[in-house]
Formats: sequence, structure tokens, C-alpha cells
Amino acid sequence: MNIKLESGNIFDPQNNIFNKKMDLYVADGKIVSKKNIKGGINKIINCSNKIVMPGAIDMHTHIGGGKVNIARLMLEDFHIENNKNFDSSSIIAPSTIKTGLKYIEMGYTTCFEPALLPVNARQAHSEMADIPFIDKGSYALLGNDDFFLDLLRKKASQSMINDYVAFILNATQSIGIKVVNPGGINAFKFNQRALNVDEKSKYYNITPRDIISKLTRSIYDLGISHPLHVHCSNLGIPGNYLSTIETIKAANSLPIHLTHIQFHSYGNNGDKAFSSASVEISNFLNKIPNLTCDVGQIMFGQTVTMSGDSMSQYRNHNHAHPKKWMCMDIECDAGCGVVPFKYKDKSFVNALQWVIGLEIFLLAEDPWKIFLTTDHPNGAPFTSYPHLIKLLMDRSFRNDILKQLPKSIRDHSILHTLKREYTLNEIAIMTRAAPARILGLQNKGNFSEGSDADITIYDKNNKDIENMFAHPIMVLKSGEIAVENGKVKNYLWGKTQTIKPEYDASIEKILNKFFDKYHTMKLDSYIITESEMSNLIGSEIVINKCKYERKQ
Amino acid sequence: MASRIKTNAEKHIVCPFCSLHCDDILSKSDGKKYSISSEESKVSEANKTCLKKIESFNINAKSILTPTIKNKKVNLGSVLKYTKQILNKQKDAIIINHGIDVSGLRSMLNFALTYNCSIDHINSKFLYQNIGIVQRTGYMATSLTEAKNRGDVIIVFGNNILCKTPRLIEKVLTPSNSLCTNEKNKKIIFIGEFPDKLLKNLSKKYNTSYIKMKMDYIPDLLNLLSDIDGVKIPNISKVLVAKIKSIIYKSKYLVATWSASDFINSKNPDKIIQSISQFILDRNKTSRASCMPISGSLGDTTSSQTLTWLTGFPSRIKYAHGSFVHDRNIYNNEIIIDKKNTDVVIHISSLSQDKIKINKGLKNIFIGHPNSKFTSQPDVFIPVGIPGIDYEGIMFRTDNVVSLALKKIRAINLPTTKEILDELT
Repeated sequence: MNIKLESGNIFDPQNNIFNKKMDLYVADGKIVSKKNIKGGINKIINCSNKIVMPGAIDMHTHIGGGKVNIARLMLEDFHIENNKNFDSSSIIAPSTIKTGLKYIEMGYTTCFEPALLPVNARQAHSEMADIPFIDKGSYALLGNDDFFLDLLRKKASQSMINDYVAFILNATQSIGIKVVNPGGINAFKFNQRALNVDEKSKYYNITPRDIISKLTRSIYDLGISHPLHVHCSNLGIPGNYLSTIETIKAANSLPIHLTHIQFHSYGNNGDKAFSSASVEISNFLNKIPNLTCDVGQIMFGQTVTMSGDSMSQYRNHNHAHPKKWMCMDIECDAGCGVVPFKYKDKSFVNALQWVIGLEIFLLAEDPWKIFLTTDHPNGAPFTSYPHLIKLLMDRSFRNDILKQLPKSIRDHSILHTLKREYTLNEIAIMTRAAPARILGLQNKGNFSEGSDADITIYDKNNKDIENMFAHPIMVLKSGEIAVENGKVKNYLWGKTQTIKPEYDASIEKILNKFFDKYHTMKLDSYIITESEMSNLIGSEIVINKCKYERKQ
Repeated sequence: MASRIKTNAEKHIVCPFCSLHCDDILSKSDGKKYSISSEESKVSEANKTCLKKIESFNINAKSILTPTIKNKKVNLGSVLKYTKQILNKQKDAIIINHGIDVSGLRSMLNFALTYNCSIDHINSKFLYQNIGIVQRTGYMATSLTEAKNRGDVIIVFGNNILCKTPRLIEKVLTPSNSLCTNEKNKKIIFIGEFPDKLLKNLSKKYNTSYIKMKMDYIPDLLNLLSDIDGVKIPNISKVLVAKIKSIIYKSKYLVATWSASDFINSKNPDKIIQSISQFILDRNKTSRASCMPISGSLGDTTSSQTLTWLTGFPSRIKYAHGSFVHDRNIYNNEIIIDKKNTDVVIHISSLSQDKIKINKGLKNIFIGHPNSKFTSQPDVFIPVGIPGIDYEGIMFRTDNVVSLALKKIRAINLPTTKEILDELT
């Protein structure tokens, strides 16, 4: 079908188009130029007085896999939100169907599960295949698996490590690599309760710095678009900004992405030994070219924290609200922990967490380097994004909420002094163009010819920016109308975004032996093939190109 | 649809019939009949039991390969038409899941949505005992490969767990290789009412201890091991308790394993499981320890995982008033049938070898494998293939973190459960 979107106010930062009134054309699910439309226009969508952006991209949201399902199961008593829209699951641990519905209703068309355990990949992909509307992808977890740590202990060559990393990306149908609490999850299995950046794990004698250095190098050598996605050591611990800075240095100037940076930007100053280190972290972000961050903003209210970081989650289980939680050691691969949590605006610590996230957003000079996330659902459910956008775009709104927080917060923060208000251009960059660029999604987040026609149309006359972003009037997914007049129209099914770097197949021989000896399944069962993705799991894959040929 | 099967070539398969889903076994098939063997040159007795079980699903003289209506053979079109008539008239149908793969479950949910059916799994009562600890308190868990490579002391509670998962001992509890522990020093403590002969044989090969006692005393024993005073257990020597305690407190990675169904005849199964979980939590204050419940003999974990991600609830759900709702009592299949709160029972059974109860006075639709057994003939029987034998599928292992892709090894031209449910939806 050929569609013309007529006279919209277009925001396409990738092509330096900001609020320009123009037409867009769509044919066979792709953006096309007018001259390349074959046949007539089948449908004209009047976009006058409408803001038109590429579909939004959530680059860090926990939407599929074992820990998500544990949260759904654990929080059964929260599943009471009967919206008469297929299911009653709670937005803090939504079913797959609800996940897709809520994302598309907000104009999000592509989302990435950031913590896919390789051994749990089949489940994660099966879950995500059951999320309607959106395209999805995942970052495979490495850096706590016994095979990798054993490679490091044996001082394996960088080339061999690269083979393993490339194998994992291929075998798990992922698009990136993430490391969570480097080495810490593994150390916790040996009863270590903390692991600093330069502290050696007792069993493998490896430091988190070693792991970061090897993995950032590997991602660089392989030409993977997305830098190593790092959940730093010491999550949530006062004073952890120092280990965050050391983690940045461990990348040796190679690209590195620090995720939910808010949780890793804590000082330990003041009478409460808890303070904001947003300035120190932002200085690094603004200074170092290859460093990017997503924020992981918290919002006040009930949520559930879920993480591969079993060491941290076990440490935090006493804060569970309600008082139930679960941690798990998983398959010599990684771990997970699920702890429900309620962020309270009257709590000094929670209020300061809210402040720190916003300070980092507002201190970041380059919107291409910082990404809008709540680390769903750890900081807040993804449905709070429109509220977060309003906090960033409306200083008086932000300050009104700040005034309601404990008075001592003002003494510990600079938020009230920050006058910056994000522009629509900047929001379009940080929710569309920048995530597409950093993930290497050439056909997403922009309106270039040949890109996927994932399009979100907002009402320009809606003066309430939160309401505008919460309720786009129309959303197209791959050129089909998914949402019309704010209501879901058709159920559509997206694809899985992957990358397939080259590797020397001899790594499989080594892995075969390792699996036969130590695992409880064979390597063949571990590997997910392209045909399995489409025939059994239920999601076709899209293979994105590496940035360049493998370097070593 | 039949597809080409490479005849007589040996290939690895994934066993669909127990929650370990072993993939180190080989099949040889002429397309119709298959044989199963081990990849090990020396086959254990436990493995032999499993191989025989898989082979027992071969087609035999009693296998039903043609659909029936009231015990009369009909073609597929007729049975689908007749079944739709029943479904269109029903008011309160219930689906009882006796085991199916992920694709079957996805279609089951669509089917339930279309006909406003409730869904329950035949083993839900055991599932809820284990889920209870996740939903009530804290819980530390581990998976099979962790237990194999890190567990230095393993406590096995129960009586029948090793019969249900015959290879648990050789694959996980006493493996020939272990990454982080000396496999020869692994210690296994049995607590409960295990067959004497089984334990005698195991004690010859492995470092085992045994506290033989009624399972109702498990919470008391764990209190004793935790130095809680005032606990007395008949016929249990203090010396034995002290020995067990010493082993446990020296462990670096303690694993507690059980099968909830072993506790079902106890006075308070929930209390037993809660006490084990609490004991493990307490051990984690100074050491490492984890629970590893074993379940899923009829695809229980596959069912609970898939339904949970699709609806938020693991079982006992119904589509009503625009959304899926859950109530573990109202949608309990046993209560529904006892109280006659249903008019049509739809059995879905790909894996069960048990005789399945057909409830008189109700319409019974049975969608199951050709070797299914019933207490009496259902109104409708639609034979379908078995995941992992007749078609490819995905099933979850007992630890809920590993799922495996099942393979196809024979072609007997039966539809899949998914295909039948989709036709009816």
C-alpha cells in the first residue's frame, strides 16, 4: 500500500530535519521518496498540525526472559488492573501482550531486552515473539560465565575471546553484549559479597577491569555497532561513582555504554552519607567521546527490580516491598534477582535518586550520548516515559515536584539551579535517532529512503506535553496503521534485530567439549538457529551489518 | 503433514517425557518406528529406564491413529465439525492440560479466548506449592548445571523423586565431571522415605547419608539442624543429626532438591517446602545455598512459563469480560468437575502414559497422542503427534531457565495439537 503523510511537522534528526513542514511517503512498509512511488497513492493521512517522528526506540527495557517471568509470577496479587484490553496483568510486570499494547500506544516501535542470559535465550526470544507490534532485540550477557572467566584465567588470546563473543551473538540471536557487575555474579556463587573494579575474584583471580578491557576490545575488533553495554560494579552503593569512573577508564578509550547510570552515580558525602555525584559523572560523559549512557530514571511508586546482578539483589533483598524476593544462580552462565520495591517521595534516598537521574539528563551536553530510560521496570514502568519527558521539557513542572520532596534534598542537589529545558528536537534525538545510531539500526529512527516506515504522529495542538507523548493519535508500524485516533487498530507482529559477526568455527569444538563435560545440555541445544527463530520461536530475524570487517 | 525423515540415520534427540529433557540420547528411525539408545558406551540402569519409556511411545496394535466420535472412526474433517458443534453449544468448558509444548500452549490460549474456557494443568496443585514460596517470602534457587558444578553437598528430600527423574543422580547430583568442586567429594544426604534398595545401591557408589523419617518431620529436623531447641523426632539419633549438621555446615554450596508431589500425602506440604526454603535462606547468611525443586513431568514448567508470560498467571485462568482472570480455587479442574461447574472437558495430552479419567455426565473432548489411555472412551478423540517425536517444539526444563528445541524423528502423518486447536478456533 502506498501512503502519503501530508503536511506534517517532521522531526528527523538523523537527516537534520527539525520541525519542517513536509510530506512523507510510504510504500511496502518502507519510507520512499515521491519519485519512487510506483502506482498511485492508496491513502492520504492529513498531518497538518501534527508532529511526525520516527517510531520511538527503547534501548534498555526488561521485557522478556526468566527474570521477567519470575516477577510476573511473584506479583500475581498486583495483576488487578482490568483495562478490558486482553489481560489484567500489572504494568510493573506486564504480560507480553500488554507490553506490546502499551508500547505501541505510546508510539514506541522497537525495544531492546538488555539482559539476555545466553542459556535462557530461547525463553527470552519466545516471550518477545509474543509481544505484538514492536520489533525487538537483545544484548547477551557475558563476563560472569565460567567459560569466559576460564578463558581469561588461562590468558586466552584476544582473537579467541573475539571468536567466543561472536559465537555468542550468533548463537543467541542478539545484537549486542552486556556485562552485569563484571565478575561479581560469578564471585557471589563463591560467597564473595562485593567485588570492586580492581579486586580479584577469589576463584578465577580476575578483576572487573580485566573483563571490561577484554570485552570492550572484542566488541571493537568485531565491528559490533553497539558498544559494550555495562552495568557497573557496586550498583546502588553510596560512593559508587568512583567505581563507575574506574569502569570508564577500564575501556581504555574504546567505546563503552554505561547503563542505568543513575544507579551508579552516588556519592557518600553529607550527614546521610548519600549524595549526588551527577556532576562528576556528567563531566566524564561530556568529556569522553566514546562514552554513552542511559539514565534509568526512577519515579515514585511501586515497581519491581529485576536484574542479572544477583550479588546486588541479594544485598538489597531486605528492602523488598512487599516482603518477598528471589535470587537465582543460573547454569554457570549468570544469575538473577527479583526484588519488588516502592520508591517513596518522602524517603531522602529515593528522592535523591530521582534528583540524580534528572541532574544527569540536564547536565548532558550532547543528546546523542544520553538515552531516555527508566530501566523498566527497575526505576519505573516504561509507561512513565511521557511524564519523564515533561520533567525534562518543563522546568516549572519539575521544580513544583522538587518542592514536594524532603527539604534536605535541596541542600544535596543542584537540580533547582538547572534551567535547561529539553526541546522537541532533543527528545527526538534521544528517543529515536540516537538509539538507532548507537545500535547500528540503519533502517530505524529516521525517515531516509528505504528505512522502515515506523512512524508516530502526535497532536501539535495538545499543549500538555505529557499527554501528547502518552497518546499519539496515530502510529504506523512497517507502514501499517497500528494505532488510529489513539486506539489500537490492528495486531501486528515485529521482527528480531540481530547482528552476525564472523568467528572461527574452531571455538565451537572447544565449547562442545566444555558443554559435554560440564553442562547439562549439549552445545547444539544451546544454539538458536535462524530457522528456529522463525519456525518455532515465532519471530523472523533482521541481520544488521557490522560497522566494518573484523580487525582480529 | 508428513515430511521427509532421514531414515536409519542416528541423531540426537531431546526427550520430551520428563523435566530433565535430556539431549544426550540417540534415535534411529525408519520414518515410522524408532529406537532409542544412549551415546554412552556404558548405559546406566536409570538411562535404560528412560530409553524404554521413550520407545514405549512407538505405534503399536492398540495405538489410535484415526479420530473417533463415540468410539467410531471418522475422518479429520468430520471430527472437527462435530467438535465445533459441541464447542459452540458449551457454556463452561474447561481445558485440562496433561502436557504440551509452547506452540500448543499458545494455540490453547487463543482457543480458550475464543470459547471463554478456563485452563488448568493436571499438576497445578504441585506447581502452586513451589510457587507459594516465591509469592510469599524470599527464595534462593539454582539450576541443574550450577548444582552439577558447584554443589558440594546436596540434600534430597522425598521418596519418589529419583523415580520420576531417573537420571538426576548421574547427570546432576553425582556427575563424572564438575567444574568447581571435586566430584569425588560430593556428599548426598537423603531425607525422607526412600526405597532401601535404591539407597543401598547408591551408598556403594557415592558418599551418601540417610535420615529415614516421615516427611511430616522435615520442618522439625531442619529446626534441629538450625539449633532451635525443643524439637524431638521419634527414632532419629542425635549422633546422626550431628553428623548431618556437620556435613551441611562445612558445605560451600549447599543444594536442596525435592519434588512437591512427594509431599502430597503429608499433613502440611506447604509447611515442608517453606521450611526447606527458610533453611536455605538462613544458610546464605554466611555461606551459599540454593533450592532446586524438581517438577514438570507433564510439561508443567512449560505450561506455567508460557501462560505466565502471555497472561501474568501460570495456570487456572479464564478469559472473561475482556481479560484473563485467575483464581486458583474457582478454576481448579478438580473442584470444577466435582461441583459440575462445567459441561465440556477438553483434555490435551501429548506426554502422559497414565490412564486419564473421563468424566461421565460431561462431554469429553480428547486431543492426545495415539497411545493415550482413558478410564472410558471420550466423546471425541483426535490423535495428534508428540512434540519431540512427531514434530519440532520447545519445552522447558525443571529449573525454569533452560528450554530446549525438540526434534522430529518419525512421520506418521498426524496433525499437531497446535494445528487442531487452530482449526477449532
